[in-house]
Amino acid sequence: MVSKESEQFLTELRFYLMSKGKNDNEINEITEELEVHLMEAEADGKDVSHIIGDSPKQYMKSIGESMTTDYRQMAGLVPLMILMLGAYVSIGPAIEGNFSLSKGTLWIAIIAGVIAVGAYSVLIFRVLPKFLHSKWSAVLLLGTGVAVTGILVMVLLWNQKQGFEPVFTATPFQNNVIVAVCAVIFIVSAIYTKTWFTIIIPLFISMGPIANRFIPQDVNEDPTYILYTVIAFVIIAAIMIFVFMVKRKKMLNNGGKRNV
Amino acid sequence: MSDTTQMLKGILDGCLLAIIKEGEIYGYELAAKLESYGFRSLSEGTIYPLLLRMQKEGLISATLRKSTAGPKRKYYTLTEKGEQELVMFIGRWEQVSSSVDNVLNKRGI
Repeated sequence: MVSKESEQFLTELRFYLMSKGKNDNEINEITEELEVHLMEAEADGKDVSHIIGDSPKQYMKSIGESMTTDYRQMAGLVPLMILMLGAYVSIGPAIEGNFSLSKGTLWIAIIAGVIAVGAYSVLIFRVLPKFLHSKWSAVLLLGTGVAVTGILVMVLLWNQKQGFEPVFTATPFQNNVIVAVCAVIFIVSAIYTKTWFTIIIPLFISMGPIANRFIPQDVNEDPTYILYTVIAFVIIAAIMIFVFMVKRKKMLNNGGKRNV
Repeated sequence: MSDTTQMLKGILDGCLLAIIKEGEIYGYELAAKLESYGFRSLSEGTIYPLLLRMQKEGLISATLRKSTAGPKRKYYTLTEKGEQELVMFIGRWEQVSSSVDNVLNKRGI
């Protein structure tokens, strides 16, 4: 069992090495070895700074320098991100059962894709590791989910107004296939990055479309139902955050190894 | 502190080889031993990048063993190449240390 501070360092190290394109097996080896060291050192009453020195960044760099860069693996990361973004954008319409492509949509997708790959890599490799072990992680995840959904809805609404001619409209069967493919992409990326947020964020995104598909249309026009929904949503969110906190506390107490 | 680290570059490699030669050892123990020999200003983590590199160069080899404390420990042993490197290091060190001694004692040329 390592302290929160050490765990934070190990997470940051893992993401740092991943962003530098280091070999996965080597990353696992070095982080596990350091975890053992930190655990024993802390049991002896030593502080993290005693092990990694005054500058964690400098230390991470020195580890990175003695590891080989796996270019083949790094090449795989870019397509994975593009696939993931494609999946983010496609899963909503596909769940609702009206996935279609038009020339305009394709252009938006390409431009948004390029911008998003950049923003996304910054988020995954630089921003999220810093927050993952703080109490803000749940808020950040929730916020990201809401923001992503909001932006997507705006883009989709704008897109509908343009009245682009669809060049491909999915059949109900194809829609289900697209949903399945998206789910596979999210799961693969979760395994690959050894994190949960590639699954959690899509879950937030999917909530609206799932409700849209299974709740009858006239419900949408009744304000009482909307009020009930908002209340239900707030309660569910509160329960989820609570469960998340309790689980985390329990894991910290049990000394179990936690997935980030 | 960082000045010492800079100065120790290369020397530390040899020290690690010498300690590992005494018998199979894992990271934490190695750091503790190093400290007990007087390398107190060194942060313990410094050894891991070095171990990683020496492993890659084939000077040491590692095996994972279960421990009572929890997760598996990585134990290091010297390879034949490592033994040779250690002999060469000792030769180089004797040369360097006697030269430095000479300079500092103003007995040199």
